[in-house]
Amino acid sequence: MTPTSPARDRGRTGTGWRRSEWRDLPTALLFIAPATFGFGVFLVWPAIRGIWLSFTDYSVFAPASFVGLDNYRRMVADPVFWSSFRVTIEYVVINIGVQTVVALLLAVLMQRLTKSMWVRGIILSPYLVSNVVTAMLWLLLLDYQLGIVNQLLEKLGLDRLLFWGSPGLVIPTIALVNVWRHLGYTALLIFAGLQTIDQQVYEAARVDGAGEWASFWRITLPLLRPYLAMVLIVTSIGSFQVFDTVSVATQGGPANSSNVIQYYIYNVAFTRYDFGYASAMSVALLLVLSAITFVQYRLSRAGQSDAS
Amino acid sequence: MTTTTPRNDDGIGTRPRTPHRRHRLPLGRVLGWVVMLIVLLVTLFPFYWMLRTALSSNSGLATHPTSLLPVDTSLNGFRRALGLTTREESLAQGGFGATIDFWRYLANSVVVATAVTVCQVSFSALAAYAFARMRWPGRNTVFGVFLAGLLIPSIFTLLPNFVLVRDLGLLDTLPGIALPTLFMTPFAVFFLRQFFLGISVEIEEAAMIDGAGRLRTFLQIIVPMAAPAVTTLAVLTYMTSWNDYLWPLLVSQTDRSRLLTLALGVFRSQAPAQAPDWSGLMAATLLAALPMLALFLAFARRIVNSVGFTGIK
Amino acid sequence: MRKRIFVAGLVPALLALGACSQSGSDPSATGSGDGAGGQVELSYWLWDTNQQPGYEQCAADFENANPGITIAFQQYGWADYWTKLTASFVADAAPDVFTDHLSKYAEFAGNGQIVPLDDLIDADGFDTSVLQEGLIDPWTFTDGKTYGIPKDWDTTAFFYNADMMTAAGYTADDLMNLTWNPDDGGTYEQLVAHLTVDANGVRGDEAGFDKNNVDVYGIGINPSYDVTGQMQWANFTGSLGWDYLDQNPWGTHYNLDDPDFQKTIDWFYGLSDKGYMPPSGTFSDETPTQIGSGKVAIGTNGDWASSQFFALDGVTIGVFPGPVGPSGQRASVFNGLADSISTSSKHQAEAWKWVQYLGSTACQDVIASTATVFPAIPSSTAKALDAFAAKGWPVDAFYSYVEDGRTFLPPITVNSAEVYDVVTPALEAIHLGQADASSLTAVNDQINEIISH
Repeated sequence: MTPTSPARDRGRTGTGWRRSEWRDLPTALLFIAPATFGFGVFLVWPAIRGIWLSFTDYSVFAPASFVGLDNYRRMVADPVFWSSFRVTIEYVVINIGVQTVVALLLAVLMQRLTKSMWVRGIILSPYLVSNVVTAMLWLLLLDYQLGIVNQLLEKLGLDRLLFWGSPGLVIPTIALVNVWRHLGYTALLIFAGLQTIDQQVYEAARVDGAGEWASFWRITLPLLRPYLAMVLIVTSIGSFQVFDTVSVATQGGPANSSNVIQYYIYNVAFTRYDFGYASAMSVALLLVLSAITFVQYRLSRAGQSDAS
Repeated sequence: MTTTTPRNDDGIGTRPRTPHRRHRLPLGRVLGWVVMLIVLLVTLFPFYWMLRTALSSNSGLATHPTSLLPVDTSLNGFRRALGLTTREESLAQGGFGATIDFWRYLANSVVVATAVTVCQVSFSALAAYAFARMRWPGRNTVFGVFLAGLLIPSIFTLLPNFVLVRDLGLLDTLPGIALPTLFMTPFAVFFLRQFFLGISVEIEEAAMIDGAGRLRTFLQIIVPMAAPAVTTLAVLTYMTSWNDYLWPLLVSQTDRSRLLTLALGVFRSQAPAQAPDWSGLMAATLLAALPMLALFLAFARRIVNSVGFTGIK
Repeated sequence: MRKRIFVAGLVPALLALGACSQSGSDPSATGSGDGAGGQVELSYWLWDTNQQPGYEQCAADFENANPGITIAFQQYGWADYWTKLTASFVADAAPDVFTDHLSKYAEFAGNGQIVPLDDLIDADGFDTSVLQEGLIDPWTFTDGKTYGIPKDWDTTAFFYNADMMTAAGYTADDLMNLTWNPDDGGTYEQLVAHLTVDANGVRGDEAGFDKNNVDVYGIGINPSYDVTGQMQWANFTGSLGWDYLDQNPWGTHYNLDDPDFQKTIDWFYGLSDKGYMPPSGTFSDETPTQIGSGKVAIGTNGDWASSQFFALDGVTIGVFPGPVGPSGQRASVFNGLADSISTSSKHQAEAWKWVQYLGSTACQDVIASTATVFPAIPSSTAKALDAFAAKGWPVDAFYSYVEDGRTFLPPITVNSAEVYDVVTPALEAIHLGQADASSLTAVNDQINEIISH
C-alpha cells in the first residue's frame, strides 16, 4: 500500500477558486518584497546593463560606444572562444558526472550506514577551505616533482603523472579537485532531500522483501528525483562558471588547454579592459546555460514532485 | 492511517530486528564502508597535509617538499597567521611581513557571514513560501524569472554592484560587503521552495482553519517542519559567504572592513614569481576553517535529525 | 515571532554598524582625504612586501620634511593588485600614487587614468638625467609624455647550487667565461650537460646517460611563458644581436619570425628533449623551489628573487651572469618600476611632491640600504651593491650587464595583454612538443595585427 505521498500542489476545484487566487496576493507580495528588491537591484539591473554592454565597445574608463553586433561577430570568429567552450563542457561533464554520482552514494551511505556526526563533518570539511587555497594545496600535492601523490605512484611502481602540466590531464585534474571540494556540499544537499522521504516506505518495502539495492533504485531515486534534479541544475550552472581553480593553478594553460570560458571572459575584461567583448561572451554563456537548464528541467520533470 | 510520531532518520535502529539472513546485506555494508572509508581518507589527507605544512618552516619545506612529517617543526606558521610576529621575524621566516589583525578580521567575517545568512535565509524563505504555497496570479512566471537569476554570470554583476556600493557610500564597510547577497540568492529561493512543496497541505489547512494567518502558519508550522532544509541552507550559506574572495577584495580598502579570507591573500605570492608563504598560508587556512567547523558541529544535529514528514492525522 | 523580531532587529543593527564605521571622514575609501587642520593624507599602493619597510622609512622621512602630508600605505599581492586598481579607477576611488609596471601603464595612460608628468617635471626642475641611463625612456607613452618616475631597475641572471658546481669541477671564473651560440649551445650547454645527473649517477655528457631517468637537471625552467622571455630565454636571444621589435618601445612590428630567434627557441626548449632541462610541467614552482629541492643545479631568475634563493636551507647559492653570445656580449632584460599619479587624485600637488621624493637620492639611499632592489640613481645603486655585499649575497652578476654587457627593454607595445594571450600558449605548445619554433611565424603575423590597432 503506498503511503501518502508528498502533497501535490494543485488547486482544489470548487467554489471560491477565483477569489482565493487573488486573496493571497497582498500577503504574497509582502512575502516576496525583500527578495524581489534584492533580486531586482543586484541581479536584474546589472544583467540588463551587461546585455546592453555586449553591444558596445566599453573599456571601463571611457563611456561605452554602440557597435551593434560587432562583438558577436568577433566572438563567432574567435577560435579561442570555441575552444574555451569545448574545454568547459569537458570539465563540466567530468565534474558533475563524478560529483553527482559519488555525492548520491555518500548521501545514501550517510543515511543508511552511519549516524555519526563526525563522518558528516569530515565529508563536508573540504568546503570549509576556500577555492583559492584548495587550488594551491592540490597544486602542491599533485606536483610532478615535488608532489606526494606522484611519489606514491612511483613507489607503487607506476609512472608519475603530469597532472597539471599535460594538456590531456589538466582538465580532469581540475574537475576532480573541485569534486573534492564540493562533494560534501552536494552530498549534504542530497541528504537533506533524503530526509523528506517517508521511512515507512522503506519499511513497507523491507517487509515486502526488497534489499538495499532494490530499495535504492525503486524507492529512493524516484522519490528523490525533484531534489536530485534541482541539485544537478544548480551544480551544473556553478560548474560551468569554474574560475578560481584555473586562475590560481593553471592560468588557462598549458597551451590554452584549461582556458575555461569564465577565465577567458575575466581575462578579456580585467587585463585587456575589453568589457564589451567580455559581455558578449557572457551573454553567450548565459544562453547556453539557459538551454542546458531548460533541457535538464524538462528531462527530469523537476517541477513536479513525484506521486508514486 | 499513519501517525505523526517523530522518527529518527535511521530506519535501522528504531524497529525490532528482523532476522534477515541475506548474504547481500553484509557484503553491501562492507562495500559501503569501504567506499566511505576511501572517501574519508581522500577527504582528510589534504587536511593532514595542511597541518603538516603549517607546522613546518618554509625553508625546510623547500628542501624536503614531500616529507610526511612536519619539516623543521615550529609554530611560526600559526604565529604569523595570528599576526603575532614582527615584520622582521616574518620576513626571516619566509613570510611577507604584512600586518595581520587576526581577531578583527575574524570578527568582520563573523558579522558579514552571520548577517548575510540570517537575512538571506529569512527573506528567501518568505519568498519561497509565497511561491510554494500561496496562490496568486503570475506566481509561476515570477518564480521562473527568479530561477533565471541563477544563470546570470557573475562578471555582469561585479562592476555594477561595485559602482552601486560606491554610490551608496558603502565602500570599505561591512554592510557594503554584505549587501549584494543580503536579500536573496536564486539558489536559496529555489532550494527552499522545493522543500516547502513537499510539506503536506493538510497540516497547513488545519492551522489556517484554526485561525492562524499566513505569517503565523509560516513561522510556527512550515519553518519548523522544514528545519533540516533551512538549517542546511543556513550552514551552506554561511560557508559560502565566509569563503567569498573577489567581491570583498574589491569593496574593502582598509583593515576595518577586511575579512579573514582576504587575510589569506597576504600569504600568497606578493610579487610575480615569488613562492607563497606556505606554512603561514596553511596555518591561516586552518584557523579560518575552525569557526565554521564549530558552527557545523553545533548545527549538525538539526540538519541530521528530522521531524517526520508523514504528519498526517 | 521571536525570529521575526530578531530579523527585523538585525537589519537596522547592520545599517547602524555601517553608519558607525562611516562616522568621520574615511580617507582611504576615496583615495585621499582631508583631516582637520588641512592635513592631507595620500594613499600609496604597492605590492612588494620586501620593499615596504624601506618605503615606509622614506615616508617617515618625507612626513617629517612635509608636516602637512601623511602617507597611507596599502599593500596588495601581485595577483590582486591590478584587479583592485582597475576597480578603483572605475569607482573613482583610485590611490593618489601607486607603483606602476611597464607592461600595464600603457592602458592607464591611453585611458587618461594617470597624470602626464612633463609639466610638473619642468615646473619643479626635477632632474631626470640623474637616473640610470635608459630607464625613463620606456615611461614615455605614444603621445610623447612621461607617465612615471622610475625608481628601481632589475635584471636576470643564473643562480646555482655552489656545491654541485664544485663537484662538477667548475670554478667561478669558468662561469664568467661561458659562451653560447644557437647551433650547439657552446660551453654553456657543455656545463649544463655535465651538471645533469641521471638516476644511475651518469652525467649528461657521459656515455650511457639516460635522459628519461634524470635525477638532477642541469638547468631548471620557470613555468612563465611569455613574449618577453624574461624568465626563460631572454638572456640568450638578447645576445644574438636580435630585438623583439623594430623599435622598442612602441614598435609596430615584432621579430618573432627571425630565423636566428626561432633557432634559439628551438635550441632552448630542446634542452628538455636532451634531458638537461625539466620537460614542460615538471615543476609548477619557480627556480628557487626547484634548486631548493635539490633536483636542479642552475636556475635563472631576477634579482628580486635573491632573498628567496639565499634563504634556502642547506644550499649555498652562487650567481653568474648570462653567457656571451654571438653578438659578443652578455645580455639581460632591463626592467624597472615607477610611480604614477592617478588622474582622480584630489591632491595632485602633494602627490607630485611624494613622487619626487621617491625618485630622489634621499629615498633611494634608504632603499639601497635595505638591499632589496637596485635603485634608479647610480650613486644609490653603488650603495645597494655595498649593502648586498654586507649581507654576503653575491649580486654583482646583475650589475655586470650594466657595466659591461647589453641591457634591453622588454617589448613595450599597445594591447600587450592580447599579445601575451596569443604568444603564451604558442610557447607552451613548443615546449610541450606540439609544435616547433616555426609556428612563431604565424604567431608573429597575428600579434603584428594586434599591435597595429
